[in-house]
Amino acid sequence: MLDFDWNLLLDIDWVEIGEATLDTLTMLGVSMLFTVLAGLPLGVLLFVSAPGQLRARPRLYAVLSFLVNVLRSLPFVILLIVLMPFTLLLVGTSIGVAGAIVPLVVGAVPFFARLVENVLREVDRGVIEASQSMGARLPHIVFKVLLPESLPGLIGAATVTAVALVGYTAMSGVIGGGGLGDLAIRYGYQRFQTEIMIVTVVLLLALVQGLQSAGDSLVRRCRFD
Amino acid sequence: MIEVQNISKHYQHGGKSVAALDNVSLQIASGEIYGIIGRSGAGKSTLIRCLNLLERPDSGHVSLHGEDITRFDERALQQRRQRIGMVFQHFNLLRSRTVAANVRFPLELAGGLSAAQMDARVDELLALVGLQDHKHKRPSQLSGGQKQRVGIARALANHPDLLLCDEATSALDPETTDAILALLADINRQLGLTIVLITHDMRVIRQLCDSVAVLDHGRVVEQGKVLDVFLAPQHAVTQSLLAETGMGQGALQGVWRQRVATPVIKLTFVGEPTLQPVLDKVGREAGLRVNLLSGTLSEIKDTPFGQLLAGVVASDVDVSALPAIFAREGVRCEVL
Repeated sequence: MLDFDWNLLLDIDWVEIGEATLDTLTMLGVSMLFTVLAGLPLGVLLFVSAPGQLRARPRLYAVLSFLVNVLRSLPFVILLIVLMPFTLLLVGTSIGVAGAIVPLVVGAVPFFARLVENVLREVDRGVIEASQSMGARLPHIVFKVLLPESLPGLIGAATVTAVALVGYTAMSGVIGGGGLGDLAIRYGYQRFQTEIMIVTVVLLLALVQGLQSAGDSLVRRCRFD
Repeated sequence: MIEVQNISKHYQHGGKSVAALDNVSLQIASGEIYGIIGRSGAGKSTLIRCLNLLERPDSGHVSLHGEDITRFDERALQQRRQRIGMVFQHFNLLRSRTVAANVRFPLELAGGLSAAQMDARVDELLALVGLQDHKHKRPSQLSGGQKQRVGIARALANHPDLLLCDEATSALDPETTDAILALLADINRQLGLTIVLITHDMRVIRQLCDSVAVLDHGRVVEQGKVLDVFLAPQHAVTQSLLAETGMGQGALQGVWRQRVATPVIKLTFVGEPTLQPVLDKVGREAGLRVNLLSGTLSEIKDTPFGQLLAGVVASDVDVSALPAIFAREGVRCEVL
């Protein structure tokens, strides 16, 4: 790195970098949205159906838990390829940014759902019991007790998931998903254009830092003390 | 009237079935404060949770005002629970809500009130427990006693006909305990509300309750009016619970009988005679001179009572005649 020619930075195609940044943000934003939409209910379902919980369904829990584990144990690159036919069916294409979003969501949902389940387990059982003693039904308990009481933990879980998604998007280049990570691999790694790699890594770092600080400050703002 | 009929509850523990409640029956009159006391593991917590079926007994029935709630389906039970308040040892408030929103919570669950009506009811309840000024605070900003006041206000929100207190003062310091007990007594008087509480502390029973049941290993070993149970505890568990709080004399009686050669009498005063110079009067009339060995003067709820152990040093009449003489003054006398 010592003999790196810093003038190379001037030759960088900033338009391409800009497009790649936009692609990453699009993949991140859209897949995060769907991850929360699908992962939150799945996490709640895992929590309430677990043995000894509010609506214990040990068999359902075992099946869901197994599926979540299977999806979490698959390397994301494999998931990208395996899901291609399904993606094509769902969004009409299995490549590009749109094609990447489906595997991103499928990869992140089980991760997020498991985090949600763990966050919900931290809710004081006494508080749940108190609401049952007041005649609360399950939907009441979910929407008026579990989710509000664990809001800081849920935001924390979403932040961790978003950061993991940034990592996943880097691999989406395999199916032509584009984005900063793809740029770093194609130019920086495969074509030895170290300057591109540095710029993309700095941008990704800034993105991750930004996500984490935004998440932390939200958590701070909604803590209950 | 609350009737608990022959309820039993077993837990599986390490492959063995352990009885938490063993054929328990209770009758609790409307408007009274009923205390259930026992050591930890005696089954108190399970018993009080059987009154709103947070725990379902394996067998037996629980009737509230003639309705057998063990026959209710889930929905009916949820409806019924809205009118059974419950207060907890660790308060169990929602951290995410303000004081006012915590009290509002059961009103939201019950439905049927407009936002303005709910707000009005919340203000009324906060005034009742003396927390108007803390309306917008979070539970984390309150002291233990204040949190329990929120818990009580919340429990009263839907005009319950029964209030269950699960060790409501066990996490509080003695002064705060007194204030919360006074509040509960006040609510019982003002609203005529039946209160059932569990505790391991005889002082709570003495200060607050009309009737008491003593629970040991899942069985009721003694029950009755607090005054009767305190003055003449029958079961060893009751006696030791009283002795621990310095209110029993069972153990002392034995010691004194060994050391004191003279006959020993036990005098029990309840109510009015406590305030009269009975011992002095009888002493003059019967030439009775006594040596006081130990004694208690106190109050059970609002009734003053006293119990004295005395050695008879001299007496013009035979010691066996003393019970009749004291009885004329409204004092029970036993020759030990």
